[in-house]
Amino acid sequence: MVVQTIELEKLSLKDALDLATLIEEEARDRYEELAEQMLVHHNPLAQGFFRKMAVVEEKHRSQLSRRRQQLFGDGPGRVSRAMIFDVEAPDYDEVRFGMSPREAFEAAMRSEVKAHDFFAAALPRVKNAEVKALFEELRNEEIEHQHWVQTELDRLPADSGPEIDVSDEPVAH
Amino acid sequence: MDSALPVLQPKDFKSDLKPIWCPGCGDYGVLQAVYRALSAIGRPAHEIAFVSGIGCSSRIPGYTTAYGFNTVHGRALPIAQGIKLANPELLVLCAGGDGDGFSIGGGHLPHAVRRNLDLTYIVMDNQVYGLTKGQLSPTAALGRKTVTSSYGSLERPINPLLQVLSYGAGFVAQSTPADMPGLSQILEQAIAYPGFAFVNVQSPCVTYGEEHQQMKAQRATMKTLASLSHDPSDFLQALGWATHYGEQLHTGIFYRNPKPPPSYEQQLAERRAKLAPGALPRERILEMFQTR
Ligand SMILES: Cc1ncc(C[n+]2csc(CCOP(=O)(O)OP(=O)(O)O)c2C)c(N)n1
Ligand code: SF4
Repeated sequence: MVVQTIELEKLSLKDALDLATLIEEEARDRYEELAEQMLVHHNPLAQGFFRKMAVVEEKHRSQLSRRRQQLFGDGPGRVSRAMIFDVEAPDYDEVRFGMSPREAFEAAMRSEVKAHDFFAAALPRVKNAEVKALFEELRNEEIEHQHWVQTELDRLPADSGPEIDVSDEPVAH
Repeated sequence: MDSALPVLQPKDFKSDLKPIWCPGCGDYGVLQAVYRALSAIGRPAHEIAFVSGIGCSSRIPGYTTAYGFNTVHGRALPIAQGIKLANPELLVLCAGGDGDGFSIGGGHLPHAVRRNLDLTYIVMDNQVYGLTKGQLSPTAALGRKTVTSSYGSLERPINPLLQVLSYGAGFVAQSTPADMPGLSQILEQAIAYPGFAFVNVQSPCVTYGEEHQQMKAQRATMKTLASLSHDPSDFLQALGWATHYGEQLHTGIFYRNPKPPPSYEQQLAERRAKLAPGALPRERILEMFQTR
């Protein structure tokens, strides 16, 4: 989890909203990618969960983007996707062939924790009061997301691993 | 914070083809880092040729919007060099696995290095043959048990970093998808280097690799050369660090020639220009071969 070439001390509210939007966008794209991986590898349960997470992240992204638009219009920003690395997006090695829905939820939980830790670690460096308030709000939201994932996780039966035929995996052609 | 954002975004280099690598495979991170590096370089996809051999890792060109050529096992480098010579304006990337590059294709490596065309060679080194289901590769450790070395390998692994350095490559680096910012930056710098650039990526195979080779283990043990105060312009120091291959994962630029020599294609263009005034017209040359 890294944010590069962004000086948190000098972030304006517009930059901060752009950064937060891009963090959600990156997470959405990664969940979509992970859902595709699960689809390719015949794991509909994990695929469905990752798809659902992509929808959730897109909801967060669009809320933040709307806020940015209302306050600052559509003008170009100074923050780009190239500056962030897996802040809320699950790392690629969080997934496995034949992973159970429970394992998929656990991966999502670790990502929510990662995002929370990012905002918590960034806060002491932020100087702008509006940005501080935004980061506090986002940090607290990540805790809410963790509660949501935990509730869903608790509902899952213990033995919910999918039954997959592994005879011709992974990719030999 | 830079106010000028790159015009091309990483997603512009993502093709519609869906990767079929095993979930968790290191190659996903390598692909992502390639998108980022290309976006930072800023050349549009139609000016890029991406050549690979055969193997899981060699699927990578298809997942980008660049021109791609998934060639023959072990033959990525000759074909990449041919493409660069035919059209020196193209940005040429070459990629493959350790089996592809150091085993069946190993004979091409010294010649590609000493010829020094301006291209970037990325090896996804997972110390195993992934595509064909887990056979011993030339970088696999002594004693490694695989389907083709049931009682443990009796062959010492080759050291790709030492090999490429000793052949005279002007840019030699190593990275891992466990360090995405580092990997993206190294690929960007390798592409920007004006000559043959080699990047060994320790890209774990989750299916046939061992636990200590996986990204979690890498994150815990890897050391950046920068943190060890390595000077990438110091060739002898680079050789020293390269001897640690297989024992300690060092990431970063081992060697970057501070005075890059002219590339093969540059020298060729100069020679052509020099010889052009005395060159015979094409018709005259053809006449010389005509049988009466
Ligand atoms: C001439 C030839 N010999 C053998 C093969 C079978 N083969 C395909 S990929 C491969 C090795 C794959 O290992 P590596 O290059 O390390 O790539 P990875 O799959 O691990 O990414 C082999 C032996 C082939 N396709 N062509
Ligand atoms: S077999 Fe190994 S190298 Fe091939 S896709 Fe699977 S994890 Fe990656």
